Amino acid sequence: MAGMELLSDQGYRLDGRKATELRKVQARMGVFAQADGSAYLEQGNTKALAVVYGPHEMRGSRSRTLHDQAVINCQYSMATFSTAERKRRPHGDRKSTEMSLHLKQTFEAAVMTQLYPRSQIDIYVKILQSDGGNYSVCVNAATLAVIDAGIPMRDYVCACTVGFVDETPLADLCYAEEGGGVSSLALALLPRGGQIALLQMDARLHQDHLERLIEAAMTACKGVGKVLDEVVRQHLQEVSVLTSD
Amino acid sequence: MKDTPLSNCERDFLLKAIEEKKRLDGRQTYDYRKLKITFGTDYGCCFVDLGKTRVMAQVSCELVAPKENRPNEGIMFFNIELSPMASPAFEQSRQSELSVKLNRQLERCLRNSKCIDTESLCVASGEKVWQIRTDVHVLNHDGNLMDAASIAAITALRHFRRPDVSIQGDEVTVYSPEERDPIPLSIYHMPITVSFSFFQQGTYLLVDPSEQEERVMDGLLIIAMNKHREICSIQSSGGIMLLKEQVMRCSKIASVKVSEITDLIEKALENDKTARKAGGRCGYAESITQERITALKMDETPVEVTDVKETASDIIQKAEPSPHKVPSLVVPVPGVGQVGQGLKNTWGLEEEDDDDEEEEEEEDTNDNGSAEQEEDLTVMEEEPHKTGESREANVVELSDSEEEEVIILHPETPDRTPKNTGSTSHQKGAAKSKKRQKK
Amino acid sequence: MAADMRLPTIRKTVSLSVSAFDRKDLVVPGDVITSDTGFMRGHGTYVDEDKLTASVAGEVQRVDKLICVRPLKTRFNGEVGDVVVGRITEVQQKRWKVETNSRLDSVLLLSSVNLPGGELRRRSAEDELTMREYLQEGDLISAEVQSVFSDGALSLHTRSLKYGKLGQGVLVQLSPSLIKRQKTHFHNLPCGASIILGNNGFVWLYPTPGQQEEEAGGFYTSLEPVSLSDREVISRLRNCLLALAAHKVLLYDTSVLYCYESSLQHQVKDILKPEVMEEIVLLTQQKLLEQEG
Repeated sequence: MAGMELLSDQGYRLDGRKATELRKVQARMGVFAQADGSAYLEQGNTKALAVVYGPHEMRGSRSRTLHDQAVINCQYSMATFSTAERKRRPHGDRKSTEMSLHLKQTFEAAVMTQLYPRSQIDIYVKILQSDGGNYSVCVNAATLAVIDAGIPMRDYVCACTVGFVDETPLADLCYAEEGGGVSSLALALLPRGGQIALLQMDARLHQDHLERLIEAAMTACKGVGKVLDEVVRQHLQEVSVLTSD
Repeated sequence: MKDTPLSNCERDFLLKAIEEKKRLDGRQTYDYRKLKITFGTDYGCCFVDLGKTRVMAQVSCELVAPKENRPNEGIMFFNIELSPMASPAFEQSRQSELSVKLNRQLERCLRNSKCIDTESLCVASGEKVWQIRTDVHVLNHDGNLMDAASIAAITALRHFRRPDVSIQGDEVTVYSPEERDPIPLSIYHMPITVSFSFFQQGTYLLVDPSEQEERVMDGLLIIAMNKHREICSIQSSGGIMLLKEQVMRCSKIASVKVSEITDLIEKALENDKTARKAGGRCGYAESITQERITALKMDETPVEVTDVKETASDIIQKAEPSPHKVPSLVVPVPGVGQVGQGLKNTWGLEEEDDDDEEEEEEEDTNDNGSAEQEEDLTVMEEEPHKTGESREANVVELSDSEEEEVIILHPETPDRTPKNTGSTSHQKGAAKSKKRQKK
Repeated sequence: MAADMRLPTIRKTVSLSVSAFDRKDLVVPGDVITSDTGFMRGHGTYVDEDKLTASVAGEVQRVDKLICVRPLKTRFNGEVGDVVVGRITEVQQKRWKVETNSRLDSVLLLSSVNLPGGELRRRSAEDELTMREYLQEGDLISAEVQSVFSDGALSLHTRSLKYGKLGQGVLVQLSPSLIKRQKTHFHNLPCGASIILGNNGFVWLYPTPGQQEEEAGGFYTSLEPVSLSDREVISRLRNCLLALAAHKVLLYDTSVLYCYESSLQHQVKDILKPEVMEEIVLLTQQKLLEQEG
């Protein structure tokens, strides 16, 4: 691992991409018939499945109902076969709980929860194959699922992870790049307004580089947003044709 | 125990004050509360007071086998405990949302930033390494636990000394502190978190929120930096939307704050070192101030006194002379001093209008001293809304009054007035005077 | 028992000549519909800096000055007069909570049901105590929406003979957007079964009752065994419904009937196979087009 260059002299990364290139995104909406909304998204080799139930009556603890908005309940889990070594605890450990909290926070900012008082919206995301950028892929998949369920949102929520190597921002990191001690920034953005729903950065980065990195992240997110937009419009065309009568 | 929710008027008040750029404790937008760092008797024990938030960190070490995929590196373990002692909202069950958030943030701030040289913690590669365990306990929760915890953790790590080891072939000897001086950990840099709270969808920003401000905030941005202006971690939480400019501004503020706090930590460590060298007593017990009345102590608030004299003389000149002279002391009974005569007794007479209570109606009480009856009188009088000069005897009887007899009094009866003089506005006194009259 | 296995392939969507028509009025969340401030904002939209923006993905519907966006798939939004099929989830004081695939559970008040025996009297405390004898948790009912509460919950009533507790039959749960609004939702199909197309997406199939029910309010549920032929008819209908739903065809009595007829040449269990489904749905859609044209 130490010998591999994350960014070669010609500007190529480990998988042959350029610094600002995103991985290939493929997505499908409405994969499950019984859920209110569902979506499957692949970004490079990372695959995620998102399912949305709701809004429905609050199950479980009645005391957690909010009188003026809906409660969003997120659960993030990784399949045991998703990583190179078999994962012992798919959910319930600290990292998964933290991810679930971040997802919840991201969608609370974007979904218009004021329209559904005293209800609950459940979002479940599962990583089927993990190759870097787990959080971003989850957010993108969950956005598609929420749109599929017909729950109103202000705008798409697009997310991307960027890293900083050799004074260059790298967009959409894969697992090898993430693990190499590279400072990585995960950003969830609402593309039209340029508003940041979640910002998370680990590892050391000098303050002067922060602005460039955020800029690169926003550009990458907007790129992802375009792809998601296409997927949604395509799906709309297909389904609306069938129901028209 | 469920936490008492913040009432709506408190919430509105706080938000309104923030809009006017005022904080409840008088701080400015970017001000931290008073930060105090003290150390315990052992190495590695540190107490941090941030305003009223109190946090304690303790570092301990142990020789263990290393992880398989990292045989040359020591292990760092962080833990933040939220005990019910800190706040009634915390429960014994460990995995509350806040506890997960704080733990993960502290781990990311200290572990991912590689502030400690883990390779120096290796004793025998693949067999024995040091496991450094940092436990942070929250003793009192008054807002901004993250900052206090991070300051406590990194200061405790700086303060800590691990035992010296030597290896002879396969044998590993651990020296006790008496045999050889313990060695400090090799710390590259000190990451410190700064919390920014946002209000009204990101319009207003405050640094170091107190507990009440935390309850009304929309979201939180935590930036961890070291004094070399390197950002170690950024985390936004809460359902707010940020703009890039806001993030950049916060990072600039954070760098200023972090350098201030780092200086403070260095000073505290220096003081502690000199204290220990001088052989003086140090530790937690010393840091508690003794022989002090445990009363609410408030810091002095600065008051503007530049033109106090002029304002005072103005007020005195413009004020009217007071109507009464202050009467002198009278001693009705040995052991009792009486100054003045007090107002007339208004018991037994209920006014319908509240405004009339505010007016100083001394004439009201005239109706009270009924000589004939000792029963309670419930006489309802309708007062006109004038200043009380003309008082017609418009008396309205209460229809559901259970009194058998209702005495309607003439308010202008002059002979009744003096009876109440000399009595305090005490019912007993009035009754006494009534009795006296009867006799 | 035979087991089918298929390799994963991208399923081609069944589409007719209308596929060439490119719909211009489809929007996604965040799309600006108009910047004209003269329009009123309806469901599925929000105002962002004087611009009317869509918040769901669907088609834009404009009625005079009102613009709203109807999403493709949504939970049931009830209106007064809708017929629903629901399941009792809770028995509370003087009311039942009914799950109807909407965003809050619906409410069925004790005063909105017909008492057994058809009496008309004020509900007493005893009636409250015997609520569970009438409707328990897990029972299925058909009801009509009486009113809508301010937070969106529906208030149901079963004050007609045709509503009430449902007896033997099959429930199919589909999306509410697939059910066509009609004058009546109770149909006795000529193939030998009856169907209730609830507006909330729940469809109930049951054997046509022999004689007219003389009991009041559907309180009486017949537990006589159903004949095999009836059962076959109902199973076939159920599979047809699933096939139509999978291809997003609007459901009403005619479409269900045509689908049933088209499926007669296959065995009941084969209808669920993807290829057979496609075939049947194509035939149905052709018949429907002929009917209109």
